[in-house]
Amino acid sequence: MKEQPNLLSGQEPPDFRQKFKIIGSVFLIVLSILLLRLGYLQIIRGTEFRQKSENNSIRFRNLKPLRGLIMDRNRVVLVDNRPSFDVIYIPNKNKGNELSIEKLKNFYRTKSLEFLYDQSVSKNAKSYLPVKLEKNVDMEKVALIETNALDLPGIYIEVSPIRLYLDGEMLAPVIGYTGEVSKKDMENSTGKYAYGDILGKHGIEKIFDSYIRGHNGAELVEVNVYGKEIKNLGRIDPASGYNIILNIDADLQKATGEALAGRSGAAVVLDVHDGSVLAMFSAPSFDPNLFNSGIPYEEWEKLQNNPLCPLSNKAISGQYPPGSTYKLVVAAAALEEGVITPDTKVFCNGSFTLGNRTYRCWKKGGHGWVDLHKAIVESCDVYFYTVGKMLGVDKIAEYAKRFGLGGIAGIDLPNEKSGLVPTKEWKLKRKKSSWQMGETISTAIGQGFNLVTPLQLANAYSAFANGGTLWRPHLVKYIETTGGKLYKEFLPEKKGELKLSPKTIEILNGALWGVVNESGGTGKNAKLSGIDVCGKTGTSQVLGLPENEIARRAKRLTAFQKDHALFACYAPLKNPEIAVAVILENAGGGGAVAAPVARRILSAYFEGKKKDKKQ
Amino acid sequence: MIFLKFDRRIFQHFDWTLLGLVLAVCAIGTLNIYSTGFSAGEGQSSFYLKQIQWIALGLIFMMMIFFIDYRVIIQNAYVIYGISIMLLIFVFLFGYSSHGSQRWLGIGGFALQPSELMKLVIIITLARYFDDHRSNEPYKLQELFVPFLIILAPFLLILKQPDLGTALVLIFIFVSIVFFMGIEWKSLIIVSTGVLISIPIAWHFLKDYQKERLITFLNPENDPLGTGYHIIQSMIAVGSGEIFGKGFLKGSQTQLKFLPEQQTDFIFSVFAEEWGFVGGLILIIMFMSIIFWGLKIALQARDLLGTIISFGITALISWEVFINIGMVLGILPVVGIPLPFFSYGGSAMISLFTAIGLLMNVSARRFILQR
Repeated sequence: MKEQPNLLSGQEPPDFRQKFKIIGSVFLIVLSILLLRLGYLQIIRGTEFRQKSENNSIRFRNLKPLRGLIMDRNRVVLVDNRPSFDVIYIPNKNKGNELSIEKLKNFYRTKSLEFLYDQSVSKNAKSYLPVKLEKNVDMEKVALIETNALDLPGIYIEVSPIRLYLDGEMLAPVIGYTGEVSKKDMENSTGKYAYGDILGKHGIEKIFDSYIRGHNGAELVEVNVYGKEIKNLGRIDPASGYNIILNIDADLQKATGEALAGRSGAAVVLDVHDGSVLAMFSAPSFDPNLFNSGIPYEEWEKLQNNPLCPLSNKAISGQYPPGSTYKLVVAAAALEEGVITPDTKVFCNGSFTLGNRTYRCWKKGGHGWVDLHKAIVESCDVYFYTVGKMLGVDKIAEYAKRFGLGGIAGIDLPNEKSGLVPTKEWKLKRKKSSWQMGETISTAIGQGFNLVTPLQLANAYSAFANGGTLWRPHLVKYIETTGGKLYKEFLPEKKGELKLSPKTIEILNGALWGVVNESGGTGKNAKLSGIDVCGKTGTSQVLGLPENEIARRAKRLTAFQKDHALFACYAPLKNPEIAVAVILENAGGGGAVAAPVARRILSAYFEGKKKDKKQ
Repeated sequence: MIFLKFDRRIFQHFDWTLLGLVLAVCAIGTLNIYSTGFSAGEGQSSFYLKQIQWIALGLIFMMMIFFIDYRVIIQNAYVIYGISIMLLIFVFLFGYSSHGSQRWLGIGGFALQPSELMKLVIIITLARYFDDHRSNEPYKLQELFVPFLIILAPFLLILKQPDLGTALVLIFIFVSIVFFMGIEWKSLIIVSTGVLISIPIAWHFLKDYQKERLITFLNPENDPLGTGYHIIQSMIAVGSGEIFGKGFLKGSQTQLKFLPEQQTDFIFSVFAEEWGFVGGLILIIMFMSIIFWGLKIALQARDLLGTIISFGITALISWEVFINIGMVLGILPVVGIPLPFFSYGGSAMISLFTAIGLLMNVSARRFILQR
């Protein structure tokens, strides 16, 4: 090419040409190095790499971390880990793995073991991708496969940790369970989970999963034709998850679970000082260990179709009419608003008439003249019909909300329900009709639209017991690192104040004490010697009042139309320590059925305290 | 204005050789991307179709740049630089993340990666600076302070994303241009000893977990196992291609998805597996031709400006080719740098074609620019 006069008028340094020669040579050298390296890999080591690519001898293995332990307030371990042995199969036509499964079945047959894998390995299964044949097999199978490894190419045993729920049924409603990450979880989280990861699916396991789960490790290994590891090419150890320490007291939890045995319902025990959940049970419960390695379909069906809903935690997601336990709220509202004094008397003849409708008291003959004390102790409905009518529904609702009803309590568990506190506005919005006075009458005794969860009920009584502070109930006390260092502490959190005058509290304390300890009290069955228990019974009707009456008279009540039995209480009267709420579904009268259950729980608590003191 | 003085002659000097070479590489690259999406039973992925669109869009940008006299472009270099820095700041503020790195700006339906454009912007900005500050002597340290600042801002912004690969490419471009312009020996020694001493000292004072964190922060791809796995799988893929390759669509490493980042950073191993040493040799020779053609344009440019621009662009392409292939062949550490004209990626493709437009611009105007 003809020489071009490049660069302007000789001002430029003349050595560009020289520089370009140097640069050109450097580039040439670098590109030659790349070519040499390419040749080295493809020509000199080509055969070796071709073989490796055909054997797929390099394997990348996720190492599962240990999930953090879950302990009770006294550091008693409630949830641990144990190894699970899984049978893994890698389809590979080149290595004749196809026959391995048949051979494995034969081996099983000779020992009369059952092969549990129900889907056949799909012909199109991505070759080289491992398939889990059987999860969590027993040692007999492990030994069988290990000893016959040479005859079973492509089949090997993989060990990974799974959950061990000690005393699982007792804690299942609170702790929940774990399971393998689902397709949906994978899609919803961008790259957060790897295939086969174990996740918390319910309860504490779910809410605190990010702390408990830990981090996957991984391992890069080279294997021979039999799938045996011949060389470890690198390893990152998995990081165990953090430990969770609950406010739950394992002994009290157990007593609570046992007190509810054979029932359907829930009980909650709160520490009135700070809202710590000491025990929480929902009956019937289930065994969370079932979910560890994928729950068998029939078991799942059974749990799902059980009409008593064992999988739902009724303590926080069951919503029930509070019945007469609601009278505490109405009485407090009436005293505070000045519509009554403790001496206000109402005559109960067994029924209350409003317009052309009659509302009955639970006591057919009536209570005669009743004042507030007697009305609460004997749970006179007519008295509260009268008071409720004077207060109006919106005033009742105002106080109910102060007691934490009608909104979630904010516990650290999934699926908490908010219950319902009806107001005029609510009805207009939701039901598109105006409020009827008759509905106020029902509301005053905790029927009608009213709904509470056992947790809300316990929390409301707890707030009353401690003099007016509504705490946010919490299950987790603190989280600690694997090494045992405090990582995160959950301090008590104030949610609100009842703002009741000391006079009101004193009057109602006396009345609630009377419910349990006076001769005419409806809650006598909760009486505990040596401890001043205060509480209120409730019997909430499942069917609306008139219909229920008709059905009751006709004795046509089916199992699911029977009344719910409620009991809410706290103890002792002086310096209360715990609040307990018990709700038993379709079990009958609160005083007859729920109060004895609460008594067992209270007794367990105070017995346990005595034992602790002795030690 | 020179801009309006449209000259027919630039067509006569249109650099068909360069365009031909680049398009040939693009074509092979697209076929290759087609192959990565061609796994049995997986259906056809549309990456290759998108890549064709990117190439077409790139050609449009190339032609636009080609028509504007590069001296006009350079006159506005600082404005362009300012806008690009703004874009990087937007990425920092509003950008979205993928693979643990915040690199993209969503504009309409597109994901723009301003750091890719920055590579080219840095070249023209430095060209402008050195053209404004000519010197017959090698540059002294204090004279290089401003260019250092020019590079520092985007470097830090891109490092923060984090995108170690692109940040490194910026440094390499800067160092290449500085060396090319000439740096005083004394200054060079001071800088290099300064850097050499300070790094290990700073490193020494870091705690282990901080080092680990720093490495992972700077380069998320670099977890020892992840990269180890990538490198081994990549080397197996390349090596198993042997001399003639396994054939188009037949690379087992590729088709079985053992290879990571197939369409982007590790695309060369896909090619080497299916086309063997012969294919690799041809591709490397093609890259070599583009690079030497670029150097020729730089040497023959009409003015210093043209020389710096074309040298800078050639250096950019060279570094990316060297580092990417070196990484795939297991002789350089894994950093995210794409193979020019070959890896899948819209912003990179447009930025590269714009660069080619500038090269052609310089190439064509050497015959017609008079001053």
